[in-house]
Amino acid sequence: MILKFDLKEEYIKLLGLKPDEELAYCVPYDIGDDGGYLKNSYVVISEERLFVLEEGKLKKEVRLDEVSEVLSEPMIACGVLFYTTGTALKDGSGEHAQEQILVRFSSKHLSRYAYIARGCRLLKENKKARVVSNEDETTCPKCGRALPGTKQCPHCNHKKQGLIHEFAEMVKPYPKTLLIIGILMLLATAVTLFNPSMQRILIDNVINKEGSTINDALLVILFMFILSIGIIFINLGKAYMCSKLGTNISSDLRRKLYQKIQLLSLSFINDRKPGELMNRVVSDTARINEFMADTFCNLLTVFIIFVFDVVIMLILDWQMALLAFAFIPVMAYISFAFRKFVHRRFHMQWVKSDRMNSNLQDVLSGMSVVKSYGKEEDESEHFNKTADEFAVVQFQNEKFWAVFFPSLQFIVSVGVYLVTYFGGIRVLNGEKTVGELIQFIAYVSMLYQYVGWITNLPRQLMNVVTSLERISDIMNQEPEIFDTEKSKELNIKGHVQLKDASFGYKSYKPVLDGISLDVKPGEMIGLVGASGTGKSTLINLIMHLYEVDNGEILIDGTNIKDIKLENYHSQIGVVLQETFLFTGTILNNIKFAKPDATYDEVIQAAKMANAHEFICRTPDGYNTYLSERGFNLSGGERQRIAIARAILNNPGILILDEATASLDTESEYLIQKALERLTNGRTTFAIAHRLSTLKDADRLVVIDQHHIAEVGTHDELMAKGGIYAGLVNAQLEMNAS
Amino acid sequence: MANFGGFRGGRPGGPGKPFGEEEFNLEQMEKETEEMLKMRFLDKKNAEFKATGGGFVSLKVGDEEYARVQVVRMFPFTDPDHYISIRTSDENSKEIGIIKDLKDVSKETAELLISQMNLRYFTPVITKIINIKDEYGYAYFDVVTDRGQCRFTINMGGSSVVHLTETRILISDVDENRFEIPDVMKLSAGERKKLDLFL
Repeated sequence: MILKFDLKEEYIKLLGLKPDEELAYCVPYDIGDDGGYLKNSYVVISEERLFVLEEGKLKKEVRLDEVSEVLSEPMIACGVLFYTTGTALKDGSGEHAQEQILVRFSSKHLSRYAYIARGCRLLKENKKARVVSNEDETTCPKCGRALPGTKQCPHCNHKKQGLIHEFAEMVKPYPKTLLIIGILMLLATAVTLFNPSMQRILIDNVINKEGSTINDALLVILFMFILSIGIIFINLGKAYMCSKLGTNISSDLRRKLYQKIQLLSLSFINDRKPGELMNRVVSDTARINEFMADTFCNLLTVFIIFVFDVVIMLILDWQMALLAFAFIPVMAYISFAFRKFVHRRFHMQWVKSDRMNSNLQDVLSGMSVVKSYGKEEDESEHFNKTADEFAVVQFQNEKFWAVFFPSLQFIVSVGVYLVTYFGGIRVLNGEKTVGELIQFIAYVSMLYQYVGWITNLPRQLMNVVTSLERISDIMNQEPEIFDTEKSKELNIKGHVQLKDASFGYKSYKPVLDGISLDVKPGEMIGLVGASGTGKSTLINLIMHLYEVDNGEILIDGTNIKDIKLENYHSQIGVVLQETFLFTGTILNNIKFAKPDATYDEVIQAAKMANAHEFICRTPDGYNTYLSERGFNLSGGERQRIAIARAILNNPGILILDEATASLDTESEYLIQKALERLTNGRTTFAIAHRLSTLKDADRLVVIDQHHIAEVGTHDELMAKGGIYAGLVNAQLEMNAS
Repeated sequence: MANFGGFRGGRPGGPGKPFGEEEFNLEQMEKETEEMLKMRFLDKKNAEFKATGGGFVSLKVGDEEYARVQVVRMFPFTDPDHYISIRTSDENSKEIGIIKDLKDVSKETAELLISQMNLRYFTPVITKIINIKDEYGYAYFDVVTDRGQCRFTINMGGSSVVHLTETRILISDVDENRFEIPDVMKLSAGERKKLDLFL
């Protein structure tokens, strides 16, 4: 995201900067005091001052050292930037604080100003500190088109060579297929172009020639027959090879994308909607496959035929050729307009059917609510309405198709009629033979046929370029967490040290700040704090799913960065509140982290997790298949499978994130017992809201306001009477009442 | 206060609530829960609104004083001038009281509150559609609004166009800006045709 827009020289002059006063940020704003849109208006921040430039005039100037804070506040579809002087306001009672609105902007700039506010804070601390934003713009700053979730605009930034290079890389592993396709393309071209000449020979040299025998006719017809069969086989072969190439390429891409996505750190994945990444793996690769099969396969053929067609026509009869060419712009326009129109109509049909489907899905999934409130009548009325709307549009579209498509074809053939008319006159005058005319008409039809195809080409190309761009956007992403040459394997004993570790998901907002903690091997640490204080974040850092921004994490004295990722992760056991089980058998789920485990080991682990008994009660025992629609386990049972999975792995470090929350008392008891066995002698980090579940912890760590607020045993912290003691008392009171 | 978006990847939940005595004082919490049930209506008799120098609004009600309050519509679409919630301006804003009808306060106060709400809500009303171009899954609007001419882009795939009623639509662009067409029937036939795809 751009935080420093280019400012016109004349505007910079207005600021009256001192010689050593550097500009730090410059961002536009677009709403004026009267609520109307503004143009050419900027908030400019130098190392010392903040300026508001409204439509070419300097409206306001504030010294940064005179304000206490610059803040950006999101509102409804807009936001304001304001500053405070005096002490900051907390609960609306601050008497000395005064807030002053600077500018107002639309949602477009909302995140930009959040960064700016943070940037001002940094400037106040250090003149040279700047905030950087890794977020993507939503629209291309050059052409104004929406960006399809990529950094680069597929329209502006994609150099032609880059595209061809990428394409060449894609087809590189298949030189043989490509060669065969090339040969078939040339063959198809030759045969297609030769066909009209055969028609002329049949008419002029056989039918209209005196003394020709039936055998001559048969010979020519046989030849024509062979050509027709030949073109079918050539096209078949071409289509076959192209779809093969397309499928291979798209499956290559899919595999590469999948591997890449798994390599990339969670922060990249969490920055995108889950559907979006799925789309890139599934739809974008499919689009490339489609392009290879439908467009690429004909691309060369069509162009060669088109060029030769034109040349042949000019050679045969340049006057009539020019007459035929005169129609091409008309045809191109009609074909383009028709396609656009059809696209619109059918898109509408799609929208209506989508609306009907989502309505249906809504009602079906909420059927129990509909029924229990007796709203069946209303809902079916509502559904009927959407279904009717869809039916109307569908009927209109069918009607339109039935009427307009033949009309379009008629219009297209007008050109052919004219050529036939003028050509016919020449034949009657004896300037031309019938055969020549037929041949010429065949070339004209061929020409018109491909005009439509070519007008559609830019759209097809653009589609494939967009898909390529979206794919290369991921492929070019550098993973933030990766193995280096220094990385080594380590047999983890469980000594975990955090040294002044800081981290934030977004650069402008820290979640953890300066965390230091030394955890001895085998120690159990209970993490306590309100939601959103960073407990789970701390655990994510220990699991090395994210990289610390500052400070370091040491495992058995080795920096976490220098341990091979796979090796490290294979020695961590995780039990989360929401247990994720993969589709598959119970056995495979338990063996997930250690696929070569023996049955003995699996059963032992299941027994330790108190899972063996209920697994034996399921219809297929350890082979019971778990899936969304298959056998369902209760939350507690799933949890125990997860614990068995963790036990089997024999981890050096164990992570329990609300592992016993939202369970009934009996399963909680069973799980508690299972966890006791699991945590015994292992370095454990446990998060729990219900503090009684942390009673076995060796030490409790209270996290508050991004920092470690208290560390100690239960007794120590109770004696201290701080945050932890307050929490415990509150929970006791709640239970008592 | 840039608290948009929240933290992705973290545990879902509210922003970092400060730990303190009051947070876990049961009596206090019960009292607050009870208070939340009450409907306290504000009018010219019990509430005194004032413009702050910096563009916001302050409130004095009884012996409570608020240097800045938020003015929030409960029914922004169906009844913008009634049921206005006056709230504290901190992150976990709490309701101070409700103005049932802007007529319940003095004319000056009503004007002040309206201007404050105009600051909070930004929904340009589309008065004329110059052009709509659709290209590769996005639609590019070129329109005239009551706030001036404007171009914006919507995603054709999602639910960018919401029907508030049969004829009233709300359009959200890729940046989550909002635009309203109060009555599509008041647009010309040509304009409606351009909008056809979204109705």
